[in-house]
Amino acid sequence: MTHIKIINYLWLLLIALTLFSAYMAEQSESGLNSIVIMALVLAIKGRIIVDHFMELKRSHKFLRTLMHVYFYVIPALILVVYLFPTHIAKWTTL
Amino acid sequence: MTAIVRQGFHFLPKARDIPGSFAIWAAILAEMTEFAVMFIVYFAAKVHNPELFYDGPTRLSTSAGTANTLIMLTSSFFVVRAVMAMRENQLKKCSQWLWGAVFCGVLYLVIKYFEYQWNTAQGLNTETNIFYGVYYYVTFNHFLHVGWGSVAIVWVIYRVNTGIYTKDDHEGLINIALYWHMIDLAWITIFPLLYVIR
Repeated sequence: MTHIKIINYLWLLLIALTLFSAYMAEQSESGLNSIVIMALVLAIKGRIIVDHFMELKRSHKFLRTLMHVYFYVIPALILVVYLFPTHIAKWTTL
Repeated sequence: MTAIVRQGFHFLPKARDIPGSFAIWAAILAEMTEFAVMFIVYFAAKVHNPELFYDGPTRLSTSAGTANTLIMLTSSFFVVRAVMAMRENQLKKCSQWLWGAVFCGVLYLVIKYFEYQWNTAQGLNTETNIFYGVYYYVTFNHFLHVGWGSVAIVWVIYRVNTGIYTKDDHEGLINIALYWHMIDLAWITIFPLLYVIR
């Protein structure tokens, strides 16, 4: 597959993932399943943009890792905040 | 290597190279950190005000948020195609893809403007409650980024059209492309946090 084709398909995948998460948001009440899906979709979209649009997949390893970590941490925080809101509230009370 | 060249990957950055310049990566990492601080504020405000953050997204326009997500992703795709066209020495195509990205940027701003108008008509503003305070702070900040990012792309188009960039030397284009992808990354994070997750 050529580079152009890969980029075209990845764009379509990003669009499909966005429409899927919007559909999920409209269809279901907030629950663990939908939160997990939202977090996963965010992680996948971030990874695609970092690796293929920013072209970090084949270049600087440290920058790539740094950008990947961002899209591990934010989805993880989404889950942690959903699962343990009272604990986090305690830790963040001044 | 031969196989890689045959598949058309020969123009990607070499292993361990930094795409674009150090300066743009300093800016990108600073901006990503700034948005990360906003996201941490969002999470902290959410756990202290669960009811407000549960109801908040339901009064926002999911359609406007979704449309703007699709527009941002498409603009990023156009920017990638512009860079690919430049590497193939197709300057006119490069310029056309970049105009596509600018069009998306302007469309995003127009949709956001009408979304804010719609919010105001519903009585939503920065003072309504902490959810909308966070929403306006984060989204208006992003709005400004899309604005000056679009202007930067127009500047790059001028440089493409005047022949300043060549197939072998177009770091300015790469820098703006990377910066635009960062704006996209910020939005794909903002969208689920403020419009979808409750």
